[in-house]
Amino acid sequence: MSDVQLTFIPKFEQSERIKTLEARNRELGTNGMRQYGTYGDHRCWLNIGPFPRMDDLPSRRQGYRMSSEQWGEDYEFMLDNTEAHIYPCETIVGEIYWELGLLRPCGSSGWKQAPNADEIAEKVRLSTELGGHPTAYGHTCPDVEIVLKEGYDHILSRIRRSLKKYTDLKNERRAHYLRGLEHVCLGCIRYIERYAALAERLAAETDDAAERARFEKIAACCRNIAHAAPATFYEAVQTIQFAILFDRAVGHGNGYGRMDLYLYDFYRRDMDAGRLTRREAREYIAEMYMKLRGQFFSFGGRLEDGSDATNEMSYVALEAYDLIGDYNNLGVMWHSDIDPDYYAYACDVLARHGESIPVLINWDIMYDSLLRCGVPESEAWKVVYSGCQWYCLPGQEWCGHDTSLINVVKAMDRALDRAAADGVSDFETLYRYYEEELHVTMRAFQEAEAAIDRVRGESQPEMYTSMISHGPIERGLDMTAPRGVDNQNTSLNIFGIPNVADSFTAINRLVFEQKKYTLAEVVAACRSNWENNEIMRQRFLSQPKYGNGLDEADNMYVRVCDSMQEIAEGYVNQRGGQPMRPSLFAFMSHLESRDKIGATPDGRHAGDVLAHGINPQAGASKKGLIPMANSAASADMRKFQGGSIQVDIQPRFFDGKENRYAYIRDFSSAFFKNGGMQINLHILDLKKLEDAMEHPEKPEYQDLVVRITGYCARFITMSREYQQEFVSRINYSSMN
Amino acid sequence: MNDKTLLTIDVSHGTTHDGPGMRTTVFVKGCSLRCRWCQNPESIGARNEPWWDARACIGCLSCRDACPTGALSFTDKGLSINRSVCRACLSCCEACPAEALSPEAQRYTMDALLREVLRDRTYYEQFGGGVTCSGGEPLLQYEFLAEFFERLHDAGVTTALDTCGCAPLKNLEAMLPVTDYLLYDMKIFDPDAHRAFTGQDNALILSNLLHAADSMRRRGFPKKLWIRTPLIWEATATPENIRAIGRFIGENLMDVLERWELCAFNGACVAKYDKLGLHWDYAGRGTMSRAQIEPLRLAALENVSEDKLLVSGMIRER
Repeated sequence: MSDVQLTFIPKFEQSERIKTLEARNRELGTNGMRQYGTYGDHRCWLNIGPFPRMDDLPSRRQGYRMSSEQWGEDYEFMLDNTEAHIYPCETIVGEIYWELGLLRPCGSSGWKQAPNADEIAEKVRLSTELGGHPTAYGHTCPDVEIVLKEGYDHILSRIRRSLKKYTDLKNERRAHYLRGLEHVCLGCIRYIERYAALAERLAAETDDAAERARFEKIAACCRNIAHAAPATFYEAVQTIQFAILFDRAVGHGNGYGRMDLYLYDFYRRDMDAGRLTRREAREYIAEMYMKLRGQFFSFGGRLEDGSDATNEMSYVALEAYDLIGDYNNLGVMWHSDIDPDYYAYACDVLARHGESIPVLINWDIMYDSLLRCGVPESEAWKVVYSGCQWYCLPGQEWCGHDTSLINVVKAMDRALDRAAADGVSDFETLYRYYEEELHVTMRAFQEAEAAIDRVRGESQPEMYTSMISHGPIERGLDMTAPRGVDNQNTSLNIFGIPNVADSFTAINRLVFEQKKYTLAEVVAACRSNWENNEIMRQRFLSQPKYGNGLDEADNMYVRVCDSMQEIAEGYVNQRGGQPMRPSLFAFMSHLESRDKIGATPDGRHAGDVLAHGINPQAGASKKGLIPMANSAASADMRKFQGGSIQVDIQPRFFDGKENRYAYIRDFSSAFFKNGGMQINLHILDLKKLEDAMEHPEKPEYQDLVVRITGYCARFITMSREYQQEFVSRINYSSMN
Repeated sequence: MNDKTLLTIDVSHGTTHDGPGMRTTVFVKGCSLRCRWCQNPESIGARNEPWWDARACIGCLSCRDACPTGALSFTDKGLSINRSVCRACLSCCEACPAEALSPEAQRYTMDALLREVLRDRTYYEQFGGGVTCSGGEPLLQYEFLAEFFERLHDAGVTTALDTCGCAPLKNLEAMLPVTDYLLYDMKIFDPDAHRAFTGQDNALILSNLLHAADSMRRRGFPKKLWIRTPLIWEATATPENIRAIGRFIGENLMDVLERWELCAFNGACVAKYDKLGLHWDYAGRGTMSRAQIEPLRLAALENVSEDKLLVSGMIRER
């Protein structure tokens, strides 16, 4: 969430029902009822007190075992003890009150319960010290369509069939997992049935005809979808709501795929039969958004034959956000043949709400990236933007997208130390040292990750996610276990690339070309955090920087990106021996790791924030948005699993432009045609500008660009009286 | 190989007011006028001198020690550059570690400039934009720019020339065949007032403009004509002046005019005067209000229809 407060111009009028639901939703946010994870409502649940039967939890009663079967029993127990509640006005029901991670060890630290936890911990420590953080989880994408097409009874019968097979074949390991999955599935069915029972009771108790109709509708829906595939659009939306609730009840979210494709047939059938209006459809989706808060859906993209996948549901799903203006994490997947009206609408939503919803992503690059990894065309077209900055193949991929990390600054530091000690006198040798050190990091990472992988399927399974994916039931393997699903590359989040690239550009110039400093002096200066070396620091700071569309700096950036990718691809994981796949992103790491990273030869002080993903280092991009975007598009993004630019602009940027959306549409289209992958665009509030006037030294203001008339200026470089003028100015063209 | 070079004060990417669409604007150094309100004072002189940014300076004195003529001294107010002694050798800029002292201008080769502007090509195509040359006065470096524009045309990029028109006709003639949009300044109509505020009268400017219009009619280039009038307090922003310019346009240019743009005053450039250590007559003058601009707009509308008139820039509500 940004701190934007723009005047939101509504396009659709809210019904009384939606108004009531939204008021309650806001109240939950402000009265403390809704609990959030560390990073906002990506993780959230309603707080109605601690889990009531903690002592009866199977893993408490039996004693904790690192076991998928016991994981399934705990999960089932948690769902069985979650009371059903139906709140006023709602037709889409179901809430999370507890997360499994609060009840038993699971998630990314699940391995700590393994018998050989000490041995793993030592490997993790070693890897971390070398810049490779191997713990990972989530942000995969199950295939919600499995439950939409089959229903839970059918899934349960597949589990039981598979269980019988492996039991007969005496494969206890697989049977054990499937017994766990059976618990999970039964828990889900009973959870939905409780909603049906509650709705039936409430319908019988009320004298109000409208209320009775609402409860009967919920009851009939839940009676059906507890067992069978949904029959109507409404039931399908409720099925997705339950599926995501079950999925994230473990304590973290995933992406949930291409909702516009999954729901279109339901929508079309009901519309054609006169059972549904577009407005009703929009409201069901909006209701679901209000409950989910921040789970990823994406729209647009292409179909298998390459044609545009945009349909009427793509509109309805965005309109639902437009209706409430309060949801995180929707993506629109651009491609060169996307319906221009739809893309214009997506940009219009973004322009009016200003909060980076939807995120804009280049579908063509994601697709090519999957093909490049050897995924066949017949599957690769199903690719989806699955959140933050990754793509995923729904139900066919577990890559540990989230939190695994390679910090390339560490490898550079070691290379510099060695090169200074050896008296290296040319850049190519230094660069070779750097690549050697990346190998050192990768080897340690590979070993630590493999140690975790050996226990992952039992210590931190993703059982509901696996249940609605392709492979785990038939194979009796969790999707996190080797070959549980087909695609199990290790997704590496690469952190610090712009800093390393800019450091190398400066060193190449000042040490090797101009011979102003020696490598030993550079190492000493960085180690002492540039103390008494401000002149030297300024010189390193003023060398060409990535983010200005300059060939020299951008070429170095591309080289650093490519080295990382080529080296990573040479390492395979323990999950079916699939190669590591980098993405150029680091979630929050640029903030969190800053204390542990010393000064760098790009002129950065120790403790200063590092570059965020592929965004230039704060203060480095001085020539405006287009050169920055050109720099960001200079690497071949098809080699990576993701990489986004963060574009923070302020409303005045659009002065003189009749259509804000047109500017966003044209800018993003050109960026994508140039090979860019993802844009997160925020429109900043003027309050931020006022703060920037008072605190121009803050790093986050260094890149704040404002548009004056035909040209842009960095806000902090403008004279104070002019900044004031700017903050209070209005646009003449609004008179027309 | 091409050894021609261009002296530029800035290559600005993503501009949207120097011609249609999204553009890259190349601001050249050197000007034939001396407008008192000049928004790009570093562009005026032909010589490439150092200028100083107080905010970037770390006070290391490296520049003072590097200066061969002793033109630099530090005072209570910061660095002082004695410009009568400065030989513009730029050793001080070389010595400055922090880019606080920097040259006013950068020298570009043809290939380097083409390479830089063509990186934005997808944006030109998407937004219907191209490359604009502004200044300073581009016509003073017409030999380089005529070839530059021709190379842009070869690459399929449209061109715009933003000129004050005060240059020999042959300079303009060289540019017209390769110019798509001619953005032509008409600042002050009265010749004496024009001389008083800009240092030159406007006879040559008007005759060049008529010549360009004639070229459009007879030869089809440039393709479009925009007249631009900066609205400057007391100088250009009077109803009489706007009316006089409008009358000239009405009598001579209506058949070829696509747009007449009134560009509202803004004071953003005061920081540039500070960097040059110069006083600016317009320092502290605020932006114009809607009410102040309205009579000017009405004066313009006496001769030019609403669909051709555009008021741009920053305007206050009250």
